[in-house]
Amino acid sequence: MPHTSPPQPVAITGMGVIGAFGRGVPALDRALAEGREGVAPLTLWESSIRDFPVGQYPDRLENALHEVPGLSVRAHRRLSRSDALALVAAAEAVKQSGLTNLATAGAYIGQSVCGTLTSEELYIEARRRGQAGESTRLDLSGAFVHEGANTLDRLADVFQLQGPTLSFMTACSSAANAIGLAADAIRAGRCNVMLAGGADSLSRIAFNGFCSLKVVSPDGPRPFDRDRQGMMVGEGAGLLVLESLEHANARGANVLALLTGYGHSCDAHHLTAPHPEGKGAIAAMREALTMAGLQPGDIGYINAHGTATLDNDRTEARAINAVFGEDSVPVSSTKRFVGHTLAAAGGVEAVVSIRALQQKKLPPNLGLRVPLDDAKLDLVVATRDTPSLRHVLSNSFGFGGNNAALLFAEAN
Amino acid sequence: MGVVVTGIGVVSALGANPAAFRRALVDGTSACTMHDFVRFDGSVVRAPAYLAVPAEPEGLIEPRKLRRMFRLARMSAVAARQALKHAELDPAAMDSSRLGICFGTSFGAMEPTQKFMDSWIENGEASASPLQFMNSVHGILASQIALDINATGVNLTTAQRDICFEAALDTAVGLLETRRADVLLVGGADEVTAMLHEFGSHTGQLVLDEVPGLDPWGSRRGVVPGDGAAVFVLERDDSPRRALARVTGTRIGRCDHSGPNVAAEVLSADGTKPDLVTSNRDGGSRIGKLNNAQDRALGVDSVSHRGNFGTWPAAGAMQFAANVLMLSNGEYYEPLANGRPSGRRGAAPGTILHNAPSISGSHAAYVLTA
Repeated sequence: MPHTSPPQPVAITGMGVIGAFGRGVPALDRALAEGREGVAPLTLWESSIRDFPVGQYPDRLENALHEVPGLSVRAHRRLSRSDALALVAAAEAVKQSGLTNLATAGAYIGQSVCGTLTSEELYIEARRRGQAGESTRLDLSGAFVHEGANTLDRLADVFQLQGPTLSFMTACSSAANAIGLAADAIRAGRCNVMLAGGADSLSRIAFNGFCSLKVVSPDGPRPFDRDRQGMMVGEGAGLLVLESLEHANARGANVLALLTGYGHSCDAHHLTAPHPEGKGAIAAMREALTMAGLQPGDIGYINAHGTATLDNDRTEARAINAVFGEDSVPVSSTKRFVGHTLAAAGGVEAVVSIRALQQKKLPPNLGLRVPLDDAKLDLVVATRDTPSLRHVLSNSFGFGGNNAALLFAEAN
Repeated sequence: MGVVVTGIGVVSALGANPAAFRRALVDGTSACTMHDFVRFDGSVVRAPAYLAVPAEPEGLIEPRKLRRMFRLARMSAVAARQALKHAELDPAAMDSSRLGICFGTSFGAMEPTQKFMDSWIENGEASASPLQFMNSVHGILASQIALDINATGVNLTTAQRDICFEAALDTAVGLLETRRADVLLVGGADEVTAMLHEFGSHTGQLVLDEVPGLDPWGSRRGVVPGDGAAVFVLERDDSPRRALARVTGTRIGRCDHSGPNVAAEVLSADGTKPDLVTSNRDGGSRIGKLNNAQDRALGVDSVSHRGNFGTWPAAGAMQFAANVLMLSNGEYYEPLANGRPSGRRGAAPGTILHNAPSISGSHAAYVLTA
């Protein structure tokens, strides 16, 4: 991507997160500090596949919804699980930003599973009834909540957004793309404030699907481990409030971090497998660096996509080596804390990355026993203090070889 | 900096390529016919629909490659190749990192998703089909096209219900303006499946009796569904290729919180006065009310060609195709209502405003000029 000079960074003034660790940034901080893994048995539905744990939100989601301003109990019932996750994270992010009027704000949200948990139940019931010769006239209010824009519309309703609203579905890179493109929209003057990130709930389709691909681990994910057996399907949401620096400064907002770079590419190699040499991942990381006007040596930490599948970790390690050199930059994947939250991953991990910048502490690559033979990475095995940390890269890669990289910088 | 359309590809009920699509619009052909839809209980319902004709390889794509794709992916991949050919672009001769895809689809890959669910409902969860799972991912259409033409640049899918194509268009214009890509394939596609038809019937949104076509302005009988794919090549206006039309403005916003009127906003930013306003009227009562309110606010009588090619969430891509063809050929296509000419006659437009308020509360608008 041709960037003659680094474009204006975009301010991050709020962030919210929910997942297997609980809800809220403090809960995430505690889990990361305590090394508390998010590996748990699946309880959302009865599954005959009992061998694989998930990264499930551990409490009753209905209770968390009381944190969302202006949401009636009646409205709770119309929400899909993804909607609820997104609203809880958004409420936290908006509250932290101090913004009380979002009338001119927009939202870019990444999704992949969306409300599938609701609509797949409807499909199963309609199919059962049809085969039993019963009426298939069901309550169809949940029939179309799997549509990507459903969560976006709920956010627009609750926060009364009137700016540009878009829903992106690029599988597991959805949230990272939504955040990167929201920052582009702010730089282009389309909007001053954007809510951006991603949300996805667990669903039968995602869980059975990843199990069918034989990429799920029976003992949870062990990213970049030599003996890793695969990923753990998770759920969650991570949302940021992005603002133009002028807007944030003019209102005296507390700027948490800056978004300085975004790179995006497609492998065009295979529908699910990454390019073996990480070609697309390399392009995305380099584009983010170029945009930010940074050199590889400027980056103090990489929050890796690190799903712990055989293919991802090997190719991501190669790609990092190609861009940054061997053993040159601390790397960790936080997937064992939260699971692979699919479209939300880039949002949840953006929060992890920003917290690393704020606290000058790198989260550990939980679950690592023996590093992958040819990884040649400086893997963070325990929480590491890094007082000089200024720039953090976060990777998100998805099906279809869809790659996104976000670059965050400390606020001052 | 402006954005121009330099290529067009269409697979629709009106024909399997842009030439057939244009001919049918000129002739006022309704593509509405009766089709059988199998219900969950095994019964068959015969109902009107505008189902796309089969996508043909046309020498653009390997027949073997095409056969491996599911129906919606076939339509999308062929439309993409048609658009590239129309623009006289050879993807193999391009910098693949500057060639990207921006696709709008609301329902996405419904057929593989249903097959995937059936695989574990019928055979047990441990026997779920990995192939159908891979194909069920919402971004599969953009991924299949990228794989076919080796496009390694941006690859985005927008899902925004009935304005998903317009959302992809808005995103694409932004990507070109910020120079994240040099050439973008922008498309929209959705398909009618038996399951969607059954659910849609139960919500009372679909016309089930035999009719000659959808009436965009009509009664409260509901909509006649359709499907298809349309793909366009978009570039910045410094492209050496012939521009079919110029996108002079796009906006995505909301119409449900008394915010600014998106259509008025895009018009005032653009500064031009449209000769023609097209909309997403499809005979549905809710969308009809929104369109009536918009028409009153703008003081216009908008037209919609969904009576010609049917309606579905990504049908905005078909309207975009009709709009580009009107501008590039200096033609006006009288829209159909109930399978007959609607009486809304006009002259060849030089500027078209497309105004699409969505039942979801979103709102999209764009301005196209010759």
